[in-house]
Amino acid sequence: MIEIDTNEIALELKDVVKTYHKVPVITQLNLQIKKGEFMVLLGPSGCGKSTTLRLIAGLEAPTAGEIRIAGTDRQSHAKASDDIAMVFQDYALYPNMTVYQNLDYALKVHKVPKAARQQRLTKILATLNLTAYQDRLPGQLSGGQKQRVALGRGLAKKSPIFLLDEPLSNIDVQLREKARDEIQDLHQANGQTIVYVTHDQLEAMALGDRIAIMNAGKIQMVDTPDNIYNHPANLFVAQFVGTPQINILAAQYQQGQLQFQGQTLPLTPGQAQALAGQGDQGLDLGIRPEHVLVHSQPAGQPAYPAQVTQIIDYGRYQQLTLAVNADTTLKAITTNNDVTKDTTVYLTFAPKHILLFDHKNQKNIEK
Amino acid sequence: MNSSKQQHRVLTLLYLAPTALILLVFIVIPIIYTLYLSFFDWNLIAPTKNFVGWRNYLTIFTDPVNQKVLLNTLGYIGLLLVLNFAIPYVISIIVQFFIHKMQGVYKIIFFIPSLFSLVVGAMVFAWIMNPVSGPIALLLRQIGFTLPNWTNSGGLAIVMLCLITNWKVFGYNFVLLLTGLGSIPQNLIDAAQVDHIPKWRLIWDVVLPLNKSMAFYVLILTIVQGLQYVFTPINVITQGGPYYGSSNVLYHTYLNAFVLYKTGNASALAILTFVIFLILLFLEIKFVEGRDADAPI
Amino acid sequence: MRPFKANGWHLLLLVICLALILPVLFMVANSFKTLQDSYHTMWQLIPLHPTLKNYQTLSRQVALLRLIWNTFFMATLVTLGKLSTGLLAAYAFQYFHFRGKRWVYFAFVATIFIPFTVTMIPNYLVIAKANLLNTALGVALPQLCDATGIMIFLKAMAKIPRSLIESAYLDQIPTHRLLMNIIIPILRPSIISIGAIFFINSWNEYVWPTLILKDKSSFTLPLALQNYISSEGGTNFPLAMALATIMIIVPLAIYMVFQRYILNSISNSGLK
Repeated sequence: MIEIDTNEIALELKDVVKTYHKVPVITQLNLQIKKGEFMVLLGPSGCGKSTTLRLIAGLEAPTAGEIRIAGTDRQSHAKASDDIAMVFQDYALYPNMTVYQNLDYALKVHKVPKAARQQRLTKILATLNLTAYQDRLPGQLSGGQKQRVALGRGLAKKSPIFLLDEPLSNIDVQLREKARDEIQDLHQANGQTIVYVTHDQLEAMALGDRIAIMNAGKIQMVDTPDNIYNHPANLFVAQFVGTPQINILAAQYQQGQLQFQGQTLPLTPGQAQALAGQGDQGLDLGIRPEHVLVHSQPAGQPAYPAQVTQIIDYGRYQQLTLAVNADTTLKAITTNNDVTKDTTVYLTFAPKHILLFDHKNQKNIEK
Repeated sequence: MNSSKQQHRVLTLLYLAPTALILLVFIVIPIIYTLYLSFFDWNLIAPTKNFVGWRNYLTIFTDPVNQKVLLNTLGYIGLLLVLNFAIPYVISIIVQFFIHKMQGVYKIIFFIPSLFSLVVGAMVFAWIMNPVSGPIALLLRQIGFTLPNWTNSGGLAIVMLCLITNWKVFGYNFVLLLTGLGSIPQNLIDAAQVDHIPKWRLIWDVVLPLNKSMAFYVLILTIVQGLQYVFTPINVITQGGPYYGSSNVLYHTYLNAFVLYKTGNASALAILTFVIFLILLFLEIKFVEGRDADAPI
Repeated sequence: MRPFKANGWHLLLLVICLALILPVLFMVANSFKTLQDSYHTMWQLIPLHPTLKNYQTLSRQVALLRLIWNTFFMATLVTLGKLSTGLLAAYAFQYFHFRGKRWVYFAFVATIFIPFTVTMIPNYLVIAKANLLNTALGVALPQLCDATGIMIFLKAMAKIPRSLIESAYLDQIPTHRLLMNIIIPILRPSIISIGAIFFINSWNEYVWPTLILKDKSSFTLPLALQNYISSEGGTNFPLAMALATIMIIVPLAIYMVFQRYILNSISNSGLK
């Protein structure tokens, strides 16, 4: 991991452990988030990403470890903080208060002068296009509007750290992209540190400066969207990110060469270096469907003949299911519409896109 | 860290204090004091109390009047279970599964008497069932019958008094039982109907078992609340008579305490009632609350 | 065949309706008849010679307004007391963490099962000692011991999304503000219906007034009505019915306004 200058760290989780009734939910979590960074926590449901967010928020106390905000330890108990605002998945708007009152309430309770409140809220309502709705109750708003109100309430607090828990999951699919862009614009305008939880990989890719992929209470990889997609740290990350899913094929490393289905595949310099001096072993070969090239004639070496068993036409591209033999099938994506079912085609793999994983510990051999 | 935890503790106490204080002063301490009094001979006023050990408890089971009252109490329980539990249950099943409209109307109308005081109920039924000049007596006389003078017979008086509470409680218990039946998933009923399962089998094999916890709750309520409800018409109409024939444990306790001034005897009866109700509470927890996976807390 | 069967059921249910409602209707009708009329035209639901005589006699014999005020005042005290203590306790059970919470809750709720006879003697002595005999407060205090409010409020609070409370927590809203500004407004329907039920029950309360109120000027309506009923016969029924009619107006009016709320609340109280 890249070392970050301590002054630049907004938030740090150090050896954090969380167990509920002796069941571990978070096991040894370490994460540093830079000031102004947009950090996305991505993972399947139950991976511990929401718990991590709740720990950061101070809604729960970690069982062990430290949560440091701007360098100071939050100590071992749950506590609310001025430094943190949070948007909940269900927005948590007070149903008995209008949009304006929702934004105003916490400020009023904390005795912020009325003029200052008004000035702050007028600006926020305008930025979020909510001025026309400020006197409505939450029950009278659409999902997208509620989500903007929730964002506005978080912004009104003017805290340096902003936590968002799946804020788009309750919005109609058609409006989701627009809402996503709005969040991005807000981040660019305000420069807050954002920690954003989602299970949607497209959302994560679009928004995150960096993405932390979690599974089973552990962080699997923290990196930029590009590195996560192209250089996944392990098999889980490779398989979790990307649709259709990456092809994972059994390959062998024999006498310094990569063997797949009886033919030798080239190694990248990095892979060759990582494998140098190692004995024969089984490897998991990962190749993303868009990097499986389909030819009607054997073209170049090595090429694998395969039977086309299924074609799904998505309009923009076709997804092919290809059987190399009875045990080995893989998916490929093409845009030229000239493949027919039950014919034989020839496959080649783009060499620099072949990923290799240790069969035992499932790690990318280059990491 | 300590200050916030401390604050939390203080707040908890502050919020619980009003209820806790009221329950302590008007329930917990009184129970203990009643237990204490049950071992004494006292008349509620005299400055001295005589310790008599278990004598008051022995009296409950040996004194013929007390025995009669205990027996009456069993009679009340049996009758209340039929009138205030079994009948409303049958009717709620009919309303839920055998008719298809007007359910809401019946619910609204059935509930109306439970809004009214039992003193009103006692008065009206004393008029309707008046053996000499009441409308029922007149009606019977015209067709050649006489309404027995139920105030002269303990058994008949008990039936009357139970009918009066039935008038008040019927709708309340009906609403509870109907709610229980209504919360049985409709798709279970639909599935059984698609499979051509006869309605009475469906009710016996699916509905009743699924509604067990609500039914048991109402059953316990019928006993616990019914015995207390029946106190009002007893006091208004019969005062336990004729010769303790319509009295029950609760009324006899009251009579001993505030009319006969036999405080010790009253306290022993009260503690006996308390123990019986505790057993019912235990059953309630075991069968109703205990099976609840997502209890409120 | 089928509609005939259903009609049979409706007939049965109609008979039950009549059995429950007719006594009340006869009562109201007879309150507008003279004593003679009520005996001779017993089955007449609409009085042949309607008269207000019973009501006039009544207002001469008892201080009606005083009775109504006593009853109203006591019921209001009990209702407000039960609502506020119940809300506070339910809040503590729902949102505070403390050791032995389950046990304390069970202890609270278990008090519902305690017969009044067990507490009657000591409570009488305490009220007497505190010089509260013949006072509204004296009748109201023992009636406050009722955990049903806590139970129903707790169920209602459990339905408020947890995130709402957490959001307020993150904004460092003090608990009393949270209760007043957010939870109570959200629970308004429950509070209204439970309040209505509390009020009606206390309006009809008989046991504690019998014990605590001895002075006629402190009487509530049920006690006054009892005075008109004689166990030896000889009750002036039209007069008693006039008083009873006055007594049922308030609960009936509350039911007419809040009928839906009240029935829902009863249903919820039994649902686990």
